[in-house]
Amino acid sequence: MVKARISKRIAILYGSETGNAQDFAFILSHKLHRLHFAHTLSSLGDYNTLDILDCRHLFIICSTTGQGELPRNALEASHGNNRSSTLWSFLRRKDLPSDLLNHVSVSFLGLGDSSYPKFNYAIRKLHERIVNQLGAKEPYKRLEADEQCMLGSNKNTGAGIESVYFEFEKKALDNLCATYPTRKVNGEIIKREELPADVYLRPDSSLLIERDDNIQSNSVSFKGDEFVRVGSVERNQRITHAEHFQDVRQFIFKGAEAHEYGPGDTVSIFPCNTDQSVQQFLELQPHWKPVADKPLIFSDRAPSIEGGLVQPLTLRNLLKYHCDIMSIPRASFFKKVWTFATDMSRLERGLEQMNQQREKLQQFGADEDMQDLFDYCNRPRRSLLEVLQDFMSLRLPWEFALDFLPAIKPRYFSISSGPNCSSIELTVAIVRYKTILRKIRKGLCTDFIANLSPGDQLRYKIQNNHLFENEQLRDRPMILISPGVGIAPMMSLIRAEISNQIMLFFGNRFMEKDFLYKDLLQKWEETNRITLFSCFSRDRENSPEFKYVQDRLWAIGNTIARLLVEKDAIIYLCGSSGKMPTQVRITLLEILKKWGNFETDTAACDYLKLLEKNDRYLQETW
Amino acid sequence: MTDTELGLLLIHPAVTTEPELLAKAVEEAAASGVQIADQFLITKINDKSVTVENEKYDAIYYLTPEENDSIKFPVTLIPVLADALKSNGRLYGLPDTYRLDALINGFTTVSEGKYHWIKSPVPQAVPLKAKSLGGGAAKKLPSFKRASQPVQITQDVEDEYEDDTINTKDKTKFFTNLHTATELIDEEDLVINSNDPTGITMITCGKTKTRRKKACKDCTCGMKEQEQQEIDQVRNNQETIVKFSDQELTEIDFTIEGKKLGGCNSCSLGDAFRCSGCPYLGLPAFKPGQKINIGSILDDI
Repeated sequence: MVKARISKRIAILYGSETGNAQDFAFILSHKLHRLHFAHTLSSLGDYNTLDILDCRHLFIICSTTGQGELPRNALEASHGNNRSSTLWSFLRRKDLPSDLLNHVSVSFLGLGDSSYPKFNYAIRKLHERIVNQLGAKEPYKRLEADEQCMLGSNKNTGAGIESVYFEFEKKALDNLCATYPTRKVNGEIIKREELPADVYLRPDSSLLIERDDNIQSNSVSFKGDEFVRVGSVERNQRITHAEHFQDVRQFIFKGAEAHEYGPGDTVSIFPCNTDQSVQQFLELQPHWKPVADKPLIFSDRAPSIEGGLVQPLTLRNLLKYHCDIMSIPRASFFKKVWTFATDMSRLERGLEQMNQQREKLQQFGADEDMQDLFDYCNRPRRSLLEVLQDFMSLRLPWEFALDFLPAIKPRYFSISSGPNCSSIELTVAIVRYKTILRKIRKGLCTDFIANLSPGDQLRYKIQNNHLFENEQLRDRPMILISPGVGIAPMMSLIRAEISNQIMLFFGNRFMEKDFLYKDLLQKWEETNRITLFSCFSRDRENSPEFKYVQDRLWAIGNTIARLLVEKDAIIYLCGSSGKMPTQVRITLLEILKKWGNFETDTAACDYLKLLEKNDRYLQETW
Repeated sequence: MTDTELGLLLIHPAVTTEPELLAKAVEEAAASGVQIADQFLITKINDKSVTVENEKYDAIYYLTPEENDSIKFPVTLIPVLADALKSNGRLYGLPDTYRLDALINGFTTVSEGKYHWIKSPVPQAVPLKAKSLGGGAAKKLPSFKRASQPVQITQDVEDEYEDDTINTKDKTKFFTNLHTATELIDEEDLVINSNDPTGITMITCGKTKTRRKKACKDCTCGMKEQEQQEIDQVRNNQETIVKFSDQELTEIDFTIEGKKLGGCNSCSLGDAFRCSGCPYLGLPAFKPGQKINIGSILDDI
């Protein structure tokens, strides 16, 4: 059969941290398909570099990490972590001519948050290189979205980032439709018209029953990702007081083989759904039950899934290992499934209620003002499974499960163990919280980890981030700042004995409840391995003077300034994102202004920027 | 006693010269309780000079002198045969090399005894040839009152772009040795830290004037407390509706009937349709008067 659904002529590439950029890319792809534009959709990291020669229209949607970097999936391929042949590493080669990309028309959408200093740096880097240095044409100027609407394209409009996306989408579609107003079908030239909204577009590959028997075995394996490893849990111990609200685990597993890793490196863990959630899903889509355990095959190519595709291939296994039914559904999910709201047999009010649900689901997918979707799904952190509970008219076709259900992605954790240790140690805060929904909210991956026992197996990969490989670090002081679980990579750094002078600024809530690794840290302090500056934000008794890490920094501001200016000290900041990193940065700036002996405040400010530029101010926040 | 089953015998043109093969096949079918009702040359069905009735046969046999591995079967005929068979009907003589086409058309394989295919009773993927679910697949169902609407599912043939005039062949030389490390420009040199808006497109109309207020993770302005209060309020409201202890893990039947429903008439429809302040907020949709599955809302211990 002739299919032209994948074309190199048009490409949508994304770099995504939290999934926003990816979902916007999915929505744009959906729109293009419905206008019959064959195209490529991929993360920047997975894009085949050579394909850029066949590309004429490129759309890049990219967010920025806390450090101003491109997101991980823009830098590396999802299979393995080879970065050398990706598009971005290729484009940064020094020996490229200035007209290399003059055959490409490129448009950019950056997603950023102006509460971070390096606002939308990633898209600006891409833009500068691709347009100004390598000669690609820009049919319209790039768009930069700001979560805070203080900067960028939506500056002072009070409009959310989705408004910026829809402006981008409008420009993209107008541009393409003006270039290709007609299309050719069976040799005949016809006007380009959008598919009717209620027609579901069949994906390239769908699921088929291979044999009419049931697979009973519980054992599974994964095929197609040679980089994933299977480890065995050695220890999974709560290290906060039983009465403390937060459950933090010291989690140790034995690696499948010897790994080379160092401080600042991370592990990605591939979680799965509980059997109970999968069963709930099947109860909600009862027509899936008779086929849940039948062996399946793909009608066309099997999808490429990071971490490998589960074997034996059954609906139950796909739901358990690959379909993120506990995630909060995004607009692209509703865009695809609303047309399947066709079943009135389970509704109290029949046709009327079915049409009401149909309309609502369509609206969640199509509304440019995503407010209703936000209020219904994001704010209460409602899972896809719970949406199905509320919308009993949805009768989903299992054949296309992988087209409309979001994929489970691995989650990243900083390594706490010392370099190359065969038992890999993580420090994991178990995510649990309440919203207006009756059931406690849990994080998929940390819940998966919380339920593992010694001897259990888990799939993982190691990422080498090469943060502290410079040999000259040894004689330079290190200022480690880490409230809460931010301690995780610091443990690895201290164990690596990377510097002779380590100062650890460690903040928790209560000395006796969540002072993580208290005994070990105090021992290291006694043996002069570190200098420990602790503080407790909700514990006046044990921390009368200091509430936050920045208070302790300020208290010895003079010393900090000396270490930075005279001793080339390195700052490493880890922990929760939000105000903490900003407040620490402001504190450091004030310290430099007051004790740094700079002629002007601007000079102090420039010095701090220089630290960031020269990787002496490293930040890992999540 | 079982009724005799109806069979269809399809014949390869070469078989007509060997009548004894034909007789043997009819005999074997009869021995397994199948009465051959029709026999046609496969070419006649394929060129549509003969048509077969839908859902007529319990078994279809294909008779050919070809070796099993080299059997050539017209794939366009497979869906026609699928239609001609009753549910659970059997197809003999289609070799495993046509596996994918058979699967796509709703057959499953049976390897015990004589190798054959069964028209699967379970709902199958829509045949690729079908334009819509409402077509082929639904027609075969007995006509009872349908509780659902058909969905249009399309396999779109998208653009195949004309070759363009731009030639990029002379650029391929830059793409050699993609995997070998070469000197890279410094990423930091690419950014001029400027929030100058003249270089970017400003949006003309924002559809989302109401900014979503959301407290920061380490909120200090009081918004987090306010959010928490709202959550507590909603959860307290729920307490007046559902009375069960958090320890109860078994499913309890409990009926909403008799509880007061709001005049808005939307309480049972789920959060997407409820008014703000509805005491049912945060609870799943339900049918008034029916039992709610507590397991779906109970906190895990």
